[in-house]
Amino acid sequence: MDDHAHKAHRPSQSGGKAEKKKEKGKEKQQGFNEKAFAFKSGRKADRQGRRNVERDQTRLHVPLVNRTPDDEPPPVVVAIVGPPGVGKTTLLKSLVRRYTKQTLSEAKGPITVVAGKKKRLTFIECNNDLNSMIDIGKIADLVLLMIDGSFGFEMEAFEFLNVLQSHGFPKVIGILTHLDLIKKAATLKDTKKALKKRFWTEIYQGAKLFYLSGVLNGRYPDSEILNLSRFVGTMKFRPLVFRNTHPYLLADRIEDLTPREQIRQSKGKCDRTVTVYGYIRGTNLRMGTKVHIPGVGDLDMNKVSILGDPCPLPDADSEKRRKLSEKKKLLVHAPMSDIGGVMYDKDAVWINVPGSFSRGNADVPQGEGEQMVMDMQDASATLEDAVAQSNIRLFGSSKSHLSAPSTSAKTLDDEDEDDEGFEGGSDEDEDDSAEESDAEEDEDTFVDVSQDPRNTGRSAKRSITRAFPSAAKTKRGDVEYADSDSDLGDEDEDEDPAVGSRRVRLHGEEDHHIPSDEESEDAMDEDDDMPQWKANLAERAQTSLSRTRRKKDWTRLIYNSTMTPEAVLSYDPSASLVDEVDGGDEDDDDLFRVQTADGTAENLELDRTKEPLSADSLSRWEDDDLLDSIRGLFITGDVGPVTGAENYVDEDGKYEDSEGELDGEDAEGDAQAPADSTESTRAAALAAKKEALKRKFDEQYDDPEASKMDFYDEKKDEMARQLQLNRQEFEGVDAESRALVEGYRPGQYVRIELTDVPSEMIENFDPHYPIVVGGLLPAEQRFGFVQVRIKRHRWYTRTLKTNDPLIFSLGWRRFQSVPIYSLDDHSIRMRMLKYTPEHTHCYATFYGPVAVPNTGFCTFNSLSAETPGFRVSATGVVLDIDRSVKIVKKLKLTGVPYKIYKNTAFIRDMFTTALEVAKFEGANIKTVSGIRGQVKKALSKQDGAFRATFEDKILKSDIVFLRAWYSIQPRKFYNPVTSLLLSDKGRWAGMRLTGQVRREEGLKTPVNADSQYKKVERAPRRFNPLVVPKKLQAQLPFASKPHQMAPQKKPTYMQKRAVVMEPEEKRAVALMQQLRALRKDQVAKRSQKKAEKREEHKKKVAKEDEKRGEKDKEKRKEHMRMAGQKAKRQEDMDEGRSRKKRKT
Amino acid sequence: MSVIRSTYTHDRSRPEFSHPPTAMAGPILHYSGHQHLRQRLVLSILSGKPVKIDKIRSDDKNPGLQDFEISLLRLLEKVTNGTVIEISITGTAILLQPGIISGGDCTHDCPLSRSIGYFMEPIIMIAPFAKKALRLTLRGITTNDLDLSADLIRVVTLPHLQPFGLADGVELRIKKRGSAPGGGGEVVFMCPVVKIVKTINFVDPGKIKRIRGISHAVRVTPQFSNRMIEACRSVLNRYIPDIYLYSDVYKGEESGKSPGYALTLVAESTTTALYSAEATSKAGVSPEDIALEATRALLSEIQKGGCIDEKHQTLVLLMMVLGSEDVGRVRMSPPTPRTIQFLRDVRDFFGISFKVVPADPLDPDCTQLLFSCYGTGYVNVNRTLA
Repeated sequence: MDDHAHKAHRPSQSGGKAEKKKEKGKEKQQGFNEKAFAFKSGRKADRQGRRNVERDQTRLHVPLVNRTPDDEPPPVVVAIVGPPGVGKTTLLKSLVRRYTKQTLSEAKGPITVVAGKKKRLTFIECNNDLNSMIDIGKIADLVLLMIDGSFGFEMEAFEFLNVLQSHGFPKVIGILTHLDLIKKAATLKDTKKALKKRFWTEIYQGAKLFYLSGVLNGRYPDSEILNLSRFVGTMKFRPLVFRNTHPYLLADRIEDLTPREQIRQSKGKCDRTVTVYGYIRGTNLRMGTKVHIPGVGDLDMNKVSILGDPCPLPDADSEKRRKLSEKKKLLVHAPMSDIGGVMYDKDAVWINVPGSFSRGNADVPQGEGEQMVMDMQDASATLEDAVAQSNIRLFGSSKSHLSAPSTSAKTLDDEDEDDEGFEGGSDEDEDDSAEESDAEEDEDTFVDVSQDPRNTGRSAKRSITRAFPSAAKTKRGDVEYADSDSDLGDEDEDEDPAVGSRRVRLHGEEDHHIPSDEESEDAMDEDDDMPQWKANLAERAQTSLSRTRRKKDWTRLIYNSTMTPEAVLSYDPSASLVDEVDGGDEDDDDLFRVQTADGTAENLELDRTKEPLSADSLSRWEDDDLLDSIRGLFITGDVGPVTGAENYVDEDGKYEDSEGELDGEDAEGDAQAPADSTESTRAAALAAKKEALKRKFDEQYDDPEASKMDFYDEKKDEMARQLQLNRQEFEGVDAESRALVEGYRPGQYVRIELTDVPSEMIENFDPHYPIVVGGLLPAEQRFGFVQVRIKRHRWYTRTLKTNDPLIFSLGWRRFQSVPIYSLDDHSIRMRMLKYTPEHTHCYATFYGPVAVPNTGFCTFNSLSAETPGFRVSATGVVLDIDRSVKIVKKLKLTGVPYKIYKNTAFIRDMFTTALEVAKFEGANIKTVSGIRGQVKKALSKQDGAFRATFEDKILKSDIVFLRAWYSIQPRKFYNPVTSLLLSDKGRWAGMRLTGQVRREEGLKTPVNADSQYKKVERAPRRFNPLVVPKKLQAQLPFASKPHQMAPQKKPTYMQKRAVVMEPEEKRAVALMQQLRALRKDQVAKRSQKKAEKREEHKKKVAKEDEKRGEKDKEKRKEHMRMAGQKAKRQEDMDEGRSRKKRKT
Repeated sequence: MSVIRSTYTHDRSRPEFSHPPTAMAGPILHYSGHQHLRQRLVLSILSGKPVKIDKIRSDDKNPGLQDFEISLLRLLEKVTNGTVIEISITGTAILLQPGIISGGDCTHDCPLSRSIGYFMEPIIMIAPFAKKALRLTLRGITTNDLDLSADLIRVVTLPHLQPFGLADGVELRIKKRGSAPGGGGEVVFMCPVVKIVKTINFVDPGKIKRIRGISHAVRVTPQFSNRMIEACRSVLNRYIPDIYLYSDVYKGEESGKSPGYALTLVAESTTTALYSAEATSKAGVSPEDIALEATRALLSEIQKGGCIDEKHQTLVLLMMVLGSEDVGRVRMSPPTPRTIQFLRDVRDFFGISFKVVPADPLDPDCTQLLFSCYGTGYVNVNRTLA
């Protein structure tokens, strides 16, 4: 009829109505009406105020120190997790494309990109294997959880979230994909809403959920990825406790270093030496600790070396720009993928070249790999030539190059000067360099006087390292070569001979200061023939004599020498010219015998804490001058012009001279003391003074309330200060020695060499499975019994049984162990439970590697993908670790009495020998009826029988039992999940349950007849009549006598008599009888009528019931019909999707 | 020692069975000689690394462990659980496989060859990291001239734990005093457990603001202690007015079995740095001389300076090593030989080395040193949450 479309409504574009509408819209946009939200009453205002304060409090979190440095943090690990086919790889490629403008053809292993000026990201795709999910969950900072929107959540997603929950929850962003498969807009909306609701309950209300629509050109739409990347980029992270206490590393490259020959000989079965590469995260990684690679085991670190950052953050020059420059955007580090045509495998580097590869065509864009090949082709000289020409540094720590003898001294000179200049700038105690340099000069001259000048720039021979160091500086480069290396590096002496340096360093610290004065004399040096050390020789000799004290390099003496502690103490650097600091050389020992004075030997003999008081050292205190000299150390002392800077003042140490060579002028005052102080010291003093004054002023005039902080801020401030100190303390130290003192810091890119790695790890290496290197704390390398609080997961359908193997994911590790469940029985004992209780926590104790209390864990009964249902079987937290456990289970011993006296009974069948009885003497026993007693003593006649006393006489039929507690130990079973060693990594199988073994072997469960449940046969108890003996009866009082009377035989009077009524009486009785008859008749009639009526009613009700039943039947029919249709539809839809999936 | 590993194939699903507790404990550390035995045992127990010490007085005419060392091992065995100590037949070698520190109530009779200070020192180092609060009763000699006396431990050693956040509830009660050679003293040491140790940053020694002292005399005339106080004051009065020297006289049952007297002095600075000295009675020396000896020892201690008493260097350095993963700094007088060896041993056990630099690089005569290290972040894993 009228199938034409209605005319659409067209809103007026102009006129009064349009104006009005415009205004309305504007008003709404401008925000809320302020009046509407004003407080109407004081009470309301008060309530609002309180609410605001409370809300502020909820924002606060326990302040946690973040161990990751802010200046150069390691890349953030972004894990992409989801079921197969959900679009993980597509997302990864899209994201990499977004950040680097490069297309990955194959995404394997971690991919690091620069995301911003201060931000790098490491993407890693997690496969659907539960082991991988566990490992990824432990290291991911941000999880992109992908969900198939057309299907909904899958079990793996929930499992993964539960794993996260027990190991510290990283940030999670949900991503819904396959939304284009839902065609109907309404369904789409509903699906989104339902999934969001479920996601929020699982993470937190308001968790971010992203929607990705369809795939374009094998990628997600750019705008959507851009949005996602913005969220990823601005994400802030709160340190997680476990990661903030453990160093770890996500290996982005692995390499086998084992000699090929060895592998060949052992047919590939020998233990390997393997290096892994990656950024350190968490805390500082120290040498000497072990690392755990989940899926492999505990491994020893052989060597750690810091490498150059393969994906560095933009440096200072690009810092000025607000945005990241386009060049930096191209940086990507993905050794296991094939970025730039280069792929690093476990034992090879693969270079992909497109099509035909020829050098000529430069217009074709060249990848990193092609460049490498071309560079190799470019090489014109042999390696040997190259070595001869190049400036090779023998050691990383050495600043100077190795040089061929022909190299001119001049070039060397120049280079070194550059080096030194640089170092001088970075030196932290630069200010005192001038003063120290004096000392240095002194030593040089001193040495020189006593030394023949036979050493002249030899390059090779350096056999007598122990000889006197020569100071003849014919070539300056040599001297400075030795100067520049670290204090702590103990190899530096060994490397010296190669370059012909004859000087052996004594004092690393002072060596730093040489350049300063050398530089000052640079100009003179250039044209002067005479070596500069010769200048002012006499003068310096003079000064050197006046100075007696020189400083020792304590760090070096303590850690890098073989001297005994006493020798270290008595070692005087100014007196001994020979270097004995060298720790590595054996000849140390015969040259320097330990000369233990009698006194010290005695001390050591006794291991005494108090040093013996020697009379002569104390007798010097009889001197009044000396007594007066330490006045300044007391608050009453007159010294100390600036109280605030006393730290500075009282350290000038003129009194601290234990050598006892206190001359009068020294003791007099401090005016003389800093005689050699230079400009810098004076400046420092002035600065200190000013600082102190300023502090004083601030204290007086600043409002004390204003600077007062609350507890939270105070704590945060304290942490910030400590972090500042941590940064500053070792700032000037070179990388090698710094690593010795504080380990390798998070953010550094390192190469870790691991020894004794199982060969299977390399043979079966698969880059799709993440390799996590987790550092272990000293305690975690030990084994023990671990007590945990555990709760069966509410989605896990079966109960857990004591002594069934369980796979734990605890700390870094995944392992199988055998727990015993228990409950605290009134704080008296730990009582074993056969099964975990429903919906409550219980304790579990197992043998395994120790973890710090308060570490969370989750358990699984099986890790295989075939397991139906939810795999996380329990979660919990570590409570306690110990070397022994005390868990008991109840043991009831029963016995029967065979002889009963008054309160004493002889009991048998409880024990078998008298010895056992002896063990239980005094133990409490009880009958089933509740009569309590005690074990007394074993009987000699019957073995195992004993005498017991009870509080009352027991019956022969009573069962006596003894309640005892039998202590049980968890089995010492530990089986690491070595999934990475398998060729098929998802197929790890641990110890099976007995039932599983029986099922697989086809064995029947043995039946214990005693354990069978049977019907309890209870014969009815017959009680004999009580017989009181005649004699006793006779003695009883009458009331207590049993009443035994024979029945009467003849009729009694009452039975015998006859009754005759009077006439009135007869009439009365007759009347009564008639009345009763009438009444009876009446009642009968009434009841009959009632019955009739009831019958009628019943019929009526039955009719109604029938009607209702019919209706119900109809309803049910309708419902079932609907359900059937629905199921059918569902089936159809499923089929349709699978068909569709197959298509794509 | 060996890495736990087993090769798995599909059909082979039977796992290997348990490994001995030391399987992962790392290599055994090896030392020779009887010196520094205590600190090595302590470090072994704290770090969990087994230690083997051999050549214990092997060249001596009285070879092997001595009675007090055996006694110390027994004491350590009492306060730990799961510790295995193997002593060779000759007694010249021991192997310690440390267990966990259990704490709890303990009583120990110390031999009369050493005072209880010898036993207290290692106990103080490990007690805060026990499973339960320790309550240890030690019987023996309370004061002799080899080890820290009970007084010194009470007033100097325990306050040294203060900046590490360990001092709350730590207490040493001197029930009875006992002088050498008879002994008969008794002390009770109570120490709660901690979770973590704070690190310290103690570089300002301050100036001395007060001096305290305890002069005790047992089984001699109480006048002796007053005489010591007099003599001590004669020297110290020139420096500072805030001097209190307590005369502590124990009588009867509480005074032990032998006569003796001693003077313990403590100087405290404005920044709570402590310096201490002590002198004990000797035959044929007057109490005045003993007092002077103690006083002068205190003065030389003060002169050495630093923020830490020289006798407690190892304790403080150990706590710095066990501190949180932060930089700790402390200024000290030059290390004693014990301290130097301790630093070396710490590196073996914990892999921690210190940075040791002169405290005041501007001043060439300053002998004080600045020790700084990066703490291990030691957590008391023994502590129970249940």
